[in-house]
Amino acid sequence: MLVSHYKQFVRDRAALFFTFLFPIIFVLMFGWAFGGSETRTFDVGIVNQDGSPASEAIVENLRAITVGEGEGAKRVFDIKEGDLESERNALKDGDLDAVIVIPEGLGSSLISETPVSIEIYYDVSQTATAQVLLPTLQQVLDGLERSLTQSAKLIDVRVLPIQSHELRAIDYLVPGILGMQIMFTGIYGCLTIIQQRQAHVLKRLGCTPLRRSTLVISELVFRMAVVLVTTALIIAVGRLVFDVQMVGSWPMLCGMAILGTLAFVSIGYLIAAFIRTQQGAEPIINIITFPMMFLSGTFFPVESFPDWLAPVVRALPLTYLSDALRQIMVDGAPLYSMTTDIAVLAGWMVVTLLITIRFFRWD
Amino acid sequence: MMDTIIEVIGLSKSYGDIKAVSDISFSVSRGEVFGMLGPNGAGKTTTVEIIEGLRTPDEGKVQVLGIDAGRDTRSIKEHIGVQLQSPALFPLMSVQEVIGFFGSLYRKSIPTTEIMKLVVLDEAKKVLVKNLSGGQQQRLSVALAFVNDPDIVFLDEPTTGLDPQARRTMWEMIESFRKKGKTIFLTTHYMEEAERLCDRVAIMDHGKIIALDSPQQMIKQNFRESAIQFKMKNAPGQSVLASLKGVTHLVVEEEDITIYSENIPATIGALLDIATHNGTDLSDLFVRQATLEDVFLKLTGKRIRD
Repeated sequence: MLVSHYKQFVRDRAALFFTFLFPIIFVLMFGWAFGGSETRTFDVGIVNQDGSPASEAIVENLRAITVGEGEGAKRVFDIKEGDLESERNALKDGDLDAVIVIPEGLGSSLISETPVSIEIYYDVSQTATAQVLLPTLQQVLDGLERSLTQSAKLIDVRVLPIQSHELRAIDYLVPGILGMQIMFTGIYGCLTIIQQRQAHVLKRLGCTPLRRSTLVISELVFRMAVVLVTTALIIAVGRLVFDVQMVGSWPMLCGMAILGTLAFVSIGYLIAAFIRTQQGAEPIINIITFPMMFLSGTFFPVESFPDWLAPVVRALPLTYLSDALRQIMVDGAPLYSMTTDIAVLAGWMVVTLLITIRFFRWD
Repeated sequence: MMDTIIEVIGLSKSYGDIKAVSDISFSVSRGEVFGMLGPNGAGKTTTVEIIEGLRTPDEGKVQVLGIDAGRDTRSIKEHIGVQLQSPALFPLMSVQEVIGFFGSLYRKSIPTTEIMKLVVLDEAKKVLVKNLSGGQQQRLSVALAFVNDPDIVFLDEPTTGLDPQARRTMWEMIESFRKKGKTIFLTTHYMEEAERLCDRVAIMDHGKIIALDSPQQMIKQNFRESAIQFKMKNAPGQSVLASLKGVTHLVVEEEDITIYSENIPATIGALLDIATHNGTDLSDLFVRQATLEDVFLKLTGKRIRD
């Protein structure tokens, strides 16, 4: 059974292309579009309204952050100082990626331990910049603040090491594309069963002692194998071409990929339960997959969508799959930090399967 | 001794308001070629699919190989071979692979090479299914009904849509299966096919079996007479034709008229008289032995193919 799946699949050139080549082309395309393997330097303007030793320390430390080691070390932030007006104009003109405003009285506030806010301006349209820059700045400032308030030695501030993979858009994209591909592989799987039902192949198999469970399981195992191969391919290309790191554990990544496959295959079967023909199913699949691809943070962070879309974004299974894959690949996050992701994916799977079992017809 | 291999008692099946099969009973003996004959929509396929275990009947009992269909369908399926009306094959697999794949679904199966020889496809063994001709696909589909060396083979309209040459090849194949002692359950709407191949034929119409016998018996029982077939424009009324000498029965379908007569010379003479007398156009006249087609025509009042 498995062998027959394999042979038919391998001979279907279009399917081959979309499953294996397509995601790789995506990775390459976006990788190069977002600056490829070059580590970006961010132009940051600082408006220092305080002028205390503490604020100077912040500026110096931002300036000192580098990626890479030894000779290849490179500054992450290219810092210019100026007044609020001119820095903001430079941001608007695109000369700067962000502007940090250190308010007057920061130094004294830190000493007296009263809360003070540092403002960061950035260009919302530059999503790729924003998604990398903001968390980084946030992290740096948090770290600085912690060390500043805990220690009297203001100059001796520990610089948080920023790993290069946290800085690049491609690191964000690869897990997203992986998630997208799992979605496509899973949902498009329903076409096989719809075609076979339409061509009476399912009926013909019904005349043999073959169990239906065997049929379904072999289809599932096959899909999972395809997903695992795709996963390996995407990560390999990401690694070789763009030096994308895979920080987390492989078993966890594979497990998450398989859970995602199951969830999306279930959604595919749900489609097969209601749509009888291939011609009818294809537009439905597109209506489901394409908005999901864009709304689930495959290419842009979920935070960059307007608020009214948030409920939709939060309902989509791909949002959670991509998030989980990203956590594993980028942060090497532990399992418990993904409980929501796992629960939502499992929930989708169970609910769609229940509806499918109720309405699915074999002939 | 003939032992019963399929037993159908009081079988009924409806789809919504339409009664596809209504209270039919029959049995098939081991080793016979049993034909089910009828127009499209007569209920043949529904009947076959219930026996194969693909559908559940509304009422009635079906036993195959002594096992209740619907109870242990898996063990029945192990011992039957099925060819569906639509070929239902994997377009991207080769002949060899498809046969091998189906063979692998059964506990015992005939070697692939033997099967390919049986259905004359050994020269096309590496060809992908989608590149086969219609006749070849049909033969492959029939071949798959034999991979498990079954006790009963169901062939659902195996020659529909084939050209005469391909049909003849298929008939020869089916005859060779019969020689091997297989029980064959065949549905068809070709009269000559049923007449040539079947030991017994059940004629079905509107979900009912209206006749069941060997083709020869069926013809003999219904017709001691021969058929005169002709075309006639502006024919006189049926009553006039029926009153001609020797006529027992007649069927008029617009210009096409079939008269069954016990006295051919007398009937033809009278017919020619009418034609000359009325100046009507009489053409394409010929006399032949009655066939299953005539039986069907007599029993249902219509031709089977339209």
